[in-house]
Amino acid sequence: MPQEKVAQEDIQHRIDIDRSARFPVLFFITSAAVWLAVAVVLGFVQQMKLHSPGFLDHPSLYFLNYGRSNPAFMGALVYGWAIQAGIGVCIWLMARLCSAEVKNPITLIVAGHFWNLGVLIGVLGILTGHGTSIEWLAFPKAVWPILCGAFSLIVIWLITMFHRRQDKEVYISVWYILGACFWFPWIFITTNLFIHIFPGSAVAKAATNAWFMGSMIYLVFAPIGLASAYYIIPKIIGRPVHSAQLGYYGFWGLAVFGGWTGIQKFMGGPLPAWMPAVSGAAVIFMLIPVLIVTINQLMTLRGNQSAFNSSPALRFTIAGISFFVIYCIFSALSSFLAVGKFTQLSLTSIGTQMLAVFGFFSMTMFGAIYFIIPRLTGSEWPSLKKINSHFIISIYAMGTLLILNYFGGVWQSSAYAKFDAPLENAISAGKPYAIGASVAWVFILFSTFGFLLNLISILLRSGRREIVSKFVGHQESSG
Amino acid sequence: MKAKPVEWADAETGKLFTYPAGKPNIFKQGQIIYAQEGCAHCHTQMIRPTYMGYESWRPDFGKEGTVELPIRIRETRSGDYDGEQFAYLGVQRIGPDLSNVGYRHDEQWHHEHLFNPQSKRSFSIMPSFRHLYAKRKIKGQVSDSALSNTDLEGEEVGNYEVVPTERAKALVGYLMTLKKDDPFSNSTEDKSENNKSDVKAK
Repeated sequence: MPQEKVAQEDIQHRIDIDRSARFPVLFFITSAAVWLAVAVVLGFVQQMKLHSPGFLDHPSLYFLNYGRSNPAFMGALVYGWAIQAGIGVCIWLMARLCSAEVKNPITLIVAGHFWNLGVLIGVLGILTGHGTSIEWLAFPKAVWPILCGAFSLIVIWLITMFHRRQDKEVYISVWYILGACFWFPWIFITTNLFIHIFPGSAVAKAATNAWFMGSMIYLVFAPIGLASAYYIIPKIIGRPVHSAQLGYYGFWGLAVFGGWTGIQKFMGGPLPAWMPAVSGAAVIFMLIPVLIVTINQLMTLRGNQSAFNSSPALRFTIAGISFFVIYCIFSALSSFLAVGKFTQLSLTSIGTQMLAVFGFFSMTMFGAIYFIIPRLTGSEWPSLKKINSHFIISIYAMGTLLILNYFGGVWQSSAYAKFDAPLENAISAGKPYAIGASVAWVFILFSTFGFLLNLISILLRSGRREIVSKFVGHQESSG
Repeated sequence: MKAKPVEWADAETGKLFTYPAGKPNIFKQGQIIYAQEGCAHCHTQMIRPTYMGYESWRPDFGKEGTVELPIRIRETRSGDYDGEQFAYLGVQRIGPDLSNVGYRHDEQWHHEHLFNPQSKRSFSIMPSFRHLYAKRKIKGQVSDSALSNTDLEGEEVGNYEVVPTERAKALVGYLMTLKKDDPFSNSTEDKSENNKSDVKAK
């Protein structure tokens, strides 16, 4: 029948696209996974060091002191894992959504090599004592042009891909991806120029840094995570996004408010008072696009609980989006002076970063990876059990971290606010929470290494070879 | 661009001052070490106004062994960071705020504390920075800067000493210059004058 023939051609076309995307996407995802391994090990070490400096305290291991392992962990997590996984997922999504085969993958591979080189120099630089102690920009000064050049190549490639698109419709995910690929260079170059090159007041540089972190979360991680969610949820459910119109409102809401955020973390600091105030207001306004996105996704999901149970990709994506909503609500609450004075400058600040990068972004990326890899390799994930335990342990660990870091932060800040008590009280107040967070980190280590083992075995093709996935809920029907 | 120093007159004595007063106000080489060792990941340099908490002073913030108060206690302002490469306002308070740490201890205390924090504060969760210190054989007299809380054992005692390296000296030099408390005028009269001069400049 002709209809069947068209469907057959469609499937063949998708297989061709996947085949062409295979090399670059797998390159980015596997290197991201290696960095994730580095990041979680460093993350566990820095968390232990936060309460027990005696942990791994050997004269020759001085480079693991909290002051070095913490920024090295954040660098590996943000630049090594998160952005790289994001790039891999974006390339695949763009190829699928533009319905065009990947051409010129060598550009991507070269960019990928330089990016990895930059991150490697950066992380080793911090550990060997050449870091800058600037949050999320702690890599030695020489690294940012390398990262910048590498990312520019990827942006050029993505735009070329967009130009070559065969599908006339521009899906909401494409909007988000193109948004992120313009916003990241803008944020990254501006911040580095203002901090490292242009002369400026020291406090303005600190404010630029705070803006960088806020914008990275709302204008880079959020759009990439949402792009993946807007593709994967409808794909697995097998019906289109509830409302494309709402999707665009969500996008523009993010675009309008996202770039104002970040500086609220210096409320009461030595900055002009309007700066944290504007940022705080923007963070509160961010709840509007977040509400729109949530409603849209929930309406798409309505009546499909069974898919949630059968598809790990869907489960991870939904968990990621839920953490994003929690992150936005907590950030909005912390933007009020009454709450913010307890949450800023405490365990909460690192907890919030973990929530955004690990809870939200990594979860959506895990979802996307569980969806993409079987399609690229043509084989099934070897162990469903490992995927399930990865999911459950990650959720528990992240939930525990969230609770410990928020309550711990507030408790610690309240202790610091008791100005007539000795310092010892204030320092010991945060300690139990830091110890609890270390336990959560053990679980993160377990779950992440389970994921990595699974990834290695699927890449080595030890999995069952099946073209049609069973438990990734393979119901691709259109587009 | 730096904030322009503002002249102001003391209301009682009529004496002229400028804010920020000190130039250069910090020991820059030391700030680089402060960044490289990642001190800013546990220590803040930002005292918030009292409506956000009373954090400029606590009982054990005085000179070692005394309850001597620092000269002035106030929240930090943007001019306090003039001349710095980057204002390390801080991320979280795992340790105390360091805005005015220059008043609290002497250099020797800082060196010994950096070498072995728990020997000075039993409850401390600060790591040892012993890689900033060097062990060497004593030639002639014991150095003035030799640490007293070293981990030398057996025959080493009396033959060896632990002294700060250049990096440790720079770091402590920086800590000693952390005194973010230049006086400034609070009177409305001065503010209106500043506004006038701003208008002129435009």
